[in-house]
Amino acid sequence: MSTRLRKGQAPTKRMAHVWDASKCIACGACVMACTSTNNPDMMMREEKGWNSIASNIRRIDSVSAQGRPEVLLVQCQHCEDAPCLNTCPFGATYMDDNGMIRLDPRMCSGCSYCVTSCPYNVRWFHPDSKLPKKCMGDTCLELVDKGLQPACVQSCPAGARDYGDLNDPNSSVSVTLRTKRSRRLLENAGTEPKYFVVEGS
Amino acid sequence: MAPADLHFQVPIAHWGWTIVWFLWFVGIAGMGSVGYFFVRKAALAYVIFGSLVLGLAFVVSHLGRWWNLPRTLWTMVTNGIFNWSSWMLVGIVLLSVHLILSVIVVASHIPWLQRIGWLKWTATLSRANAYLALYAFLGFMATVYSGFLLTQASGIPLWNTSLIPILWVVSGSIAAIAVIELLYVFGVVESSVSTLAVRLGLGLDAIKLLAVLAFLHVALAYGSAGARIGATAMASGEYALMTWGGVIGIGILVPIAIGLYTVLVKKSKPLLAISSIAALAGVFFLRAVVLLAGAWEPLVL
Repeated sequence: MSTRLRKGQAPTKRMAHVWDASKCIACGACVMACTSTNNPDMMMREEKGWNSIASNIRRIDSVSAQGRPEVLLVQCQHCEDAPCLNTCPFGATYMDDNGMIRLDPRMCSGCSYCVTSCPYNVRWFHPDSKLPKKCMGDTCLELVDKGLQPACVQSCPAGARDYGDLNDPNSSVSVTLRTKRSRRLLENAGTEPKYFVVEGS
Repeated sequence: MAPADLHFQVPIAHWGWTIVWFLWFVGIAGMGSVGYFFVRKAALAYVIFGSLVLGLAFVVSHLGRWWNLPRTLWTMVTNGIFNWSSWMLVGIVLLSVHLILSVIVVASHIPWLQRIGWLKWTATLSRANAYLALYAFLGFMATVYSGFLLTQASGIPLWNTSLIPILWVVSGSIAAIAVIELLYVFGVVESSVSTLAVRLGLGLDAIKLLAVLAFLHVALAYGSAGARIGATAMASGEYALMTWGGVIGIGILVPIAIGLYTVLVKKSKPLLAISSIAALAGVFFLRAVVLLAGAWEPLVL
């Protein structure tokens, strides 16, 4: 079980998500797996603000300047300097010893400050619990605690998703990031995100 | 062409009209407390107290899990978790203390309460300059907080400017002056105070006009994509009518015109009432456009 870090404490692990855009076939399996695993009650309901399925993974479809269809998958970046951590007035948002940004529902009053603070726009309000949901969901956290991979990684048919410890040089994510060209989103926001987009070898 | 990833904050974060009302009432109560230091009329004390109560009612009603607030506060205190890096927590403390001070000031003005022996200290305390200076300072800080509340929301680039707290203080001062003018119209405040308030209001209106135009210009010309989207919505998009008609037309130009007429020609109570209501509406519209036009930085253009 992971524990809440106090101010000034550093996490022992730096768990990170990797999405390999060069392998992704944009099937949406990760998006659906995320919702069916963590918020099954939302499978047939819409996140009205995003105009899409309520998932902890947000899918952005676009067209490149050359006319090629493109997709970007975005989710909580588990930033090392997370703005949501600084703004949450009641300390409901916290970092655990795995370096994951988590939410303690007992301390959340639904003020939305974490939603407006997130530069990546990846939090959404559950219409019933009014909790600001994001990656990782409760069930994925249970999976990870058991030493398994989160739902998005397990469900990806193309092997485009990975999750592991950046502090471990032998972890699959560390190896991928060492050997392939990758980028982080809104790098200049200064949030030190731990979500990596692999763009090619 | 609109970016592929274009999202305004209201449908997602739900910082909508309830927050606009909250910011408006905090501005009136906050800078009204500064005005109270000089004016010290019961009616103004009641307006400040009423604004604080209404503002807090609006902000609590906005909470998605308001029913969890007692548990939240209990867990926070028992676990010793105080996130002082959050402007919202700072604001909660400021507004709570300000409300307590406001209750004491109001109590000092209620004659039947002053007949109760053990409450007479409220009148003694409320006459002390040091106490009223603290009251004014907390009101000022509460207004400043309501600006930094937006500035700290780093997901919304339009708000990430130091102009907002300053704009909130200037417009809050205009709202407080408008309330004092209305009190003059109702015969509560002396004419000399009103004359000074009109002159002060004219200067503040000019500063507010400059600040609003600077806010738009900087966001439109030098801002990031997210800031430009918000500023465009304000200047020529969905909220343009509210910006040019509400904030600038009704909220600034009408009070300036009436203020100049009052200073140069003659003082008219009906015109001052119109000017005050227009100024208060303008302060409301300003908070509304800035809040509603907030959008995220597009991750894909």
